[in-house]
Amino acid sequence: MDAPATEPDAGIAAGSGPLRVLIADDSDSDRLILKTLLTRLGHHVLDAANGHEAVALFHSGQPDIVLLDALMPAMDGMEAAREIKRCAGERMVPLIFITSLSAAEDLARCLEAGGDGFLSKPYNRVMIEAKINAFNRMRLMHQTLSDQRDLMHERNRKLLEEQHVARRVFDNVAHTGCLDAPNIRYHASPLSIFSGDVLFASPRPAGGMLVFAGDFTGHGLPAAMGAMPVAETFYGMAGKGFDGADILREINQKLVHILPKDMFCCGMMVEADFELGQLNVWNGGLPDAWLVRSSVVLFRLSSRHLPLGILSTDQFSVEMETIRTLPGDKLLLMTDGVLECSNEAGELFAERGVRHAIEGLSSGLHPFDALMSEIRRFTGRQKFRDDLTLCCLEMFYQEGLAALPEGTVPSSLAGPAEWNCVYEIRECTLEKFNPLPLLLHICMEVPGLRRKSGEIYTLLSELYNNALEHGVLELPSEWKYTSEGFCQYYSERAKRLSGVSDHYIRFSFHHEPMHWGGRLRIICEDSGQGFDFQNHPALQSMEMEQSGPRYAGRGLILLKRLADSIRFHNQGSRVEISYDWYF
Amino acid sequence: MVDIPHLDEEALAELRDVMEDEFSLLIETYLTDSKERIERLKEAMMKGDSDAFTKAAHSFKGSCINIGATRLGELCQKAETAGRNGDLNQGSPVVDEISTEFQRVIEAFDTLMVRDVG
Amino acid sequence: MSIHTRRGHDGKTLIIKIDGRFDFSTHQAFRDAYEHGGTDIQSYIVDLSQATYLDSSALGMLLLLRDYAGGDDASIAIENCNSDVRKILTISNFEQLFIIR
Repeated sequence: MDAPATEPDAGIAAGSGPLRVLIADDSDSDRLILKTLLTRLGHHVLDAANGHEAVALFHSGQPDIVLLDALMPAMDGMEAAREIKRCAGERMVPLIFITSLSAAEDLARCLEAGGDGFLSKPYNRVMIEAKINAFNRMRLMHQTLSDQRDLMHERNRKLLEEQHVARRVFDNVAHTGCLDAPNIRYHASPLSIFSGDVLFASPRPAGGMLVFAGDFTGHGLPAAMGAMPVAETFYGMAGKGFDGADILREINQKLVHILPKDMFCCGMMVEADFELGQLNVWNGGLPDAWLVRSSVVLFRLSSRHLPLGILSTDQFSVEMETIRTLPGDKLLLMTDGVLECSNEAGELFAERGVRHAIEGLSSGLHPFDALMSEIRRFTGRQKFRDDLTLCCLEMFYQEGLAALPEGTVPSSLAGPAEWNCVYEIRECTLEKFNPLPLLLHICMEVPGLRRKSGEIYTLLSELYNNALEHGVLELPSEWKYTSEGFCQYYSERAKRLSGVSDHYIRFSFHHEPMHWGGRLRIICEDSGQGFDFQNHPALQSMEMEQSGPRYAGRGLILLKRLADSIRFHNQGSRVEISYDWYF
Repeated sequence: MVDIPHLDEEALAELRDVMEDEFSLLIETYLTDSKERIERLKEAMMKGDSDAFTKAAHSFKGSCINIGATRLGELCQKAETAGRNGDLNQGSPVVDEISTEFQRVIEAFDTLMVRDVG
Repeated sequence: MSIHTRRGHDGKTLIIKIDGRFDFSTHQAFRDAYEHGGTDIQSYIVDLSQATYLDSSALGMLLLLRDYAGGDDASIAIENCNSDVRKILTISNFEQLFIIR
């Protein structure tokens, strides 16, 4: 501790220690008095006889407080004050003018030059001490504030850096999936995850796509934390062939488990079947999704469910709305951020804005572009919100398989080569359980088949859906191909499923190694009656007669194209296919 | 102005308290400084430089007030006002008054220091 | 924003009235309101007649109240919402969890 040599000191504000005080006065006697006064108060004094000296000492001595005579030869106090304040920059160095000036305009000039206060002659010890202490408090407060500000800047910089790192980690789990597909347009801020928005898209193994948009309550890390398991569940399950309903159920259960009671996730799941021209949509708490054909709004898919993460599994409903589409139809889905954009007058963009953008659509303009530019126009100079997520999914015609990229070539040595497996589901399980992911999983144990997951999934799902819908439920497939029949088909399907009794669907697998690779045989049998194909109106084609009654249209084409052989028995209630894979 | 003392005893007592051993150095400094300032006042007046005159008077005033030479301070104020008005003719008698009063101040300090030493 | 509570005529209903914005800033006050409501309270009414705005964190707070009041067995009515507030409750399908009137 270097305590002041003189009085043990009342004059120095607690904790601040001695100050370095720069004084400048051209009068030698005045300077001597002031210097002695300040020294007695325990401060360290730097003294200058004119403005030039003062500025030079300011540079070399780094004083805490400056006392300047207003009128001095060789650069007067005003000029020196300006120079000193300029040098001090952001540093707060209180500058007190010593003056016997009294005219208001003179005093005002001192303040304009950067002066923080005045001290008048004759010097008064008490007054000087009080002033120095007061200005020192101001200096310390400023110092504290700017230290805190610097700390906050630093913390904020670190936070942003951490967010970027977290974002990269998040990207590995919640990659953009197939959001870059040509039929998808989207806007999502790079850090939107920290405002709680998520957007995922995945191709389905047998064609079609799943899109999920979500909006977590809250901001920052908590919102991002919830998004991780949602991403993992979505991509994991979508890739394995689970449907939207299964994935929703799983996500809901996970979120109920991990989120605090007051957090939830508004979300929308979209299943797009491009081959059938069909969309299944589940909306829990997100704004309406808009189905647009040309510039006409065909449907609005409103929220019919509670958000994810609130209801227990047994209360949670995964019922989706099904709509038929034509190639070129576009589904616009968005989070709250879109509707809550505001203009300079504080008005909200709202649904009115969305409708305005879509209905004012000039031909050839994509509704996504129209909506984005309308939002930009509306918000004007206001900055865009960071939690605005908008996605447009376009329907197109796609026959059969999705162009799923084949996985990397695995070692052909690993995995089972010779095996049999029979899996049968019965009765009410037919209504409640989708066995396809499990069956696919079994087949995927064979590395050679893993590369063909899309084809295998398609085979399995065609076999299964045919057995269920036409075999067990006896739904006439031609219903699906007329618009009136379409709704009837799906409502009837749900109705009949709930009343299933004395029924089963059985899959038998047999896999054996071949010198070129391997062969998988699948037999799918169901408890249905088959039906009278002789009188079936769709039976006029050659293929139908060769194949049996129930494989009309696309199912047959797909199976024939993918399988190496296909045989039908018992009016289609037993189907055998054989599938070869090559090294 | 007659009733204003040449030196403010009270102010000087306080200064002595603050300056301790350096009190006599302070007085010497003040006196040397003041001679120079009076010369500067005269020079400015001769040149008819009212700005320099004003500044010199202002500055001199400050040190006089500080040292407790109250009457001299008042005279400097008078000179400053004259300079500010650009009226150096009126300044001339004031400068004479300042010179005379300064002699009184020197004498008063001499007396004080002798008394002190004694 | 301010929150007032009082008991209903039956003495067993806690009426929580929210004035102004019902958002995160209300969090602690809202929580205090129902937690200090008394142990004999059997049902709750959230009076939103003077609420001008409601955000998703307010929805979260309603869920907390529901959990506090017994989850699926809770009896909670949300009353007198203006049309904007009503719309937010509707989009989230909160009528499945609360009586909204």
